[in-house]
Amino acid sequence: MSSANPGLSYEDAPPFSVPLRYFLTAPLFGIAAGALLLIDGSALGSRWSPAALGAVHLVATGSMLQVMLGALMQILPVVAGASLLTPLRTARLTHPLLAGGSVGLSWGLWQGQPGATLAGAALLAAGLAIFLLAAALAFRRAPSARGRSDTPRDLRLALIGLLVTAALGVILATTLARGLSLPIDLPALVNLHAGWAWMGWGAMLVAATSWVIVPMFQITPAYPQRLTRVWAPSVLILLALWSIAAIASLHGTGIALAGLLCALAIGFGATTLRLQARSRRSTPDASFLAFRLAMTSIIAGSVAILGSLVTEADALSLLAGILILHGGFVGVISAMLYKIVPFLAWLHLTQAGIKAPNVKKLSPDLPVRRQLITHAAALALLLGAVFLPLLSYAAGAAVMLEFGWLLGNLARIVLAWQRAGGRWNPAAAAEGEKYV
Amino acid sequence: MSLISSLMTQDHRDCDHEFALAESLVARRDWDAAAKAVNAFAAALETHFRAEEEQLFPRFEAVTGMTHGPTEVMRGEHADMRSIVASLKDALARRDADDFAGEAETLLIMMQQHNMKEENMLYPMCDARLATERDALTEALGQRISRKMPA
Repeated sequence: MSSANPGLSYEDAPPFSVPLRYFLTAPLFGIAAGALLLIDGSALGSRWSPAALGAVHLVATGSMLQVMLGALMQILPVVAGASLLTPLRTARLTHPLLAGGSVGLSWGLWQGQPGATLAGAALLAAGLAIFLLAAALAFRRAPSARGRSDTPRDLRLALIGLLVTAALGVILATTLARGLSLPIDLPALVNLHAGWAWMGWGAMLVAATSWVIVPMFQITPAYPQRLTRVWAPSVLILLALWSIAAIASLHGTGIALAGLLCALAIGFGATTLRLQARSRRSTPDASFLAFRLAMTSIIAGSVAILGSLVTEADALSLLAGILILHGGFVGVISAMLYKIVPFLAWLHLTQAGIKAPNVKKLSPDLPVRRQLITHAAALALLLGAVFLPLLSYAAGAAVMLEFGWLLGNLARIVLAWQRAGGRWNPAAAAEGEKYV
Repeated sequence: MSLISSLMTQDHRDCDHEFALAESLVARRDWDAAAKAVNAFAAALETHFRAEEEQLFPRFEAVTGMTHGPTEVMRGEHADMRSIVASLKDALARRDADDFAGEAETLLIMMQQHNMKEENMLYPMCDARLATERDALTEALGQRISRKMPA
C-alpha cells in the first residue's frame, strides 16, 4: 500500500520510538542550559561570553533542533506526502550524532576548547547531512499533485536555511580551531550564522507549519494568501542579499536588509496573533496561550534586534536572544509537544487495535498548565537578569525546573501509553524488521 | 471551472465551525443547545464522509485503478473518527464535560491531520486525475454536502 500512496498511510508513519527519542532528549539539554546559567553567572552578561555561547547552543542544537527534526519526520508525510524511506535507521544515525555534537560544541564554546567545538560541529554536520539527504529523497518520492498550501514549499526552504546555517557553523568552528583566513571578520560571520539560524531555519519552519497548524487546529481564519505566498521566499532572498552585503562590507545596506527581515518576523507574529484572536474555540488551553506568548516574544525580540542595529547596545542583543530563543522557540516547541506527543500515543494505541484513552487522559491539563507557567516565569527571570545579574542564578534554576517538568510531563504520557498497552515498535515484532 | 479541492476544503472548514460551536456550548454547560450542535456537527461530518465514500472515492478508484491506495487509508480514518464521534455523544449523554473535552481534542487532531492529507494530496490528485468529469462531479458533491444530511 505504501508504495501506491506515499505519505498518506498510517503505515508510513514511523514507530513511536522514532520521534520520541528526539522529544525526550531535548529537555535534557534544556536542563543542562539552566545548570550552566546556575554555575556560570557570566552567561547573561554579554552575548559574546563563553557561557552565553555554550548555553545558546545547548538550547539551539541540543534542544530545539532535536524537537524540530523529530517533528519534521512526523509532519513531512502529512503535509507534503514526503515519507522518509528508512525513518528508524535515519533516527538511529542522526539522533546520537546530534546529541553528541551538541555536547561537544557547547562544552567547547563554554570552556574555550576549539578542538571540542570543532569535533562537536563535525558530529552535528554529519547528523544533519544524513537527515537532509533523507528529507531530500523523501521530497523526490512525494506525489507531484500539489494543494494550494504554501507549506510544502516553505518546509523545503527551511531545510535550505538549515543547510546554510550548518555550513556557516562549520566554517566558524573551523576558523576557531584551525585559524582559517576569511573574507569577513569573525563577529560579522557569527551574525550571519545567527541570522540564518533564526530566520532561515527556525522562523521559516515555524511559519511554514503555522500556515496549516494555526487555522486548522485553533480554528481561525486562514492566513492571507498574499502573505503566505511571498513570506518565505522573501526571507530567503533578503538573507542572501544581507549575506552578500556583509561580505562586501556594505554596512548601511546590511542594516537596511536586516531591518526588513525583522519587519517580516514582526509581520508573521502580528498576523498570527490577529488570527488567534479570532479563534472559534472558546476555551483556550495552556498550549494556545503559550503559543501566543511565543508570538509576542518573537515580535518583541525582533523590535530589540531593530534597536540593536542602530545602537550597538549589547543589552538589546541579549534581550533579543532571550526573547526569540526562549520566549519564541522554546514556547512554540513546548506548546506543540503537548499536542503532538499525546496524539501520537493515542494514534499508536488505536492502530494497534487498543481502545485508547483520549488525549487529555494521556496528558492532563493541570501539569501542562503549571509547566507552561514556569516557562513564562523563567522567561521573565532571564529578561530581568540582563539588568540585574544576581537574577541569573534564579533564572538558571527556573530554566532547569521548566525543562525538568517538561521531561516529567512527557514521561507521564509515555507511561500512560504503556499502561494502556502500548509496545515499542509492534510492527517490527509482528512483521520482522519492517522499519529499517 | 469548479475544483473538487475548493469545494471539499470549504466543507472541512464548515464542519470545523460546527465542531467549535458544539465544543463551546459544552464548555458553557449549555447541554440542550450543545446536544443540537453536536448532532448538527455529527450529521455534517457524516454527510462529508459519505459523499467521499460513495461518490468521490469510487470515481478516483475507477479512474486510477488504485482500490488499495489513498482512498482505502481515508476510509480507515473515517472509521476511526466515527468511533470518536460515538465517544463524544456518549460523554454528552452523560453530561461529562471533561470527558467531552478530551474526546473533542482527540477528534480535532485526528480530523485535522486527516484533512491535511486530503487537502494537500488526495483532492489535488482527484482534480488532476478526474479532469474530464470534474465539473459534473463537483456539482453532484456540492448538492449532496449542502444538504448536511447523510443520504
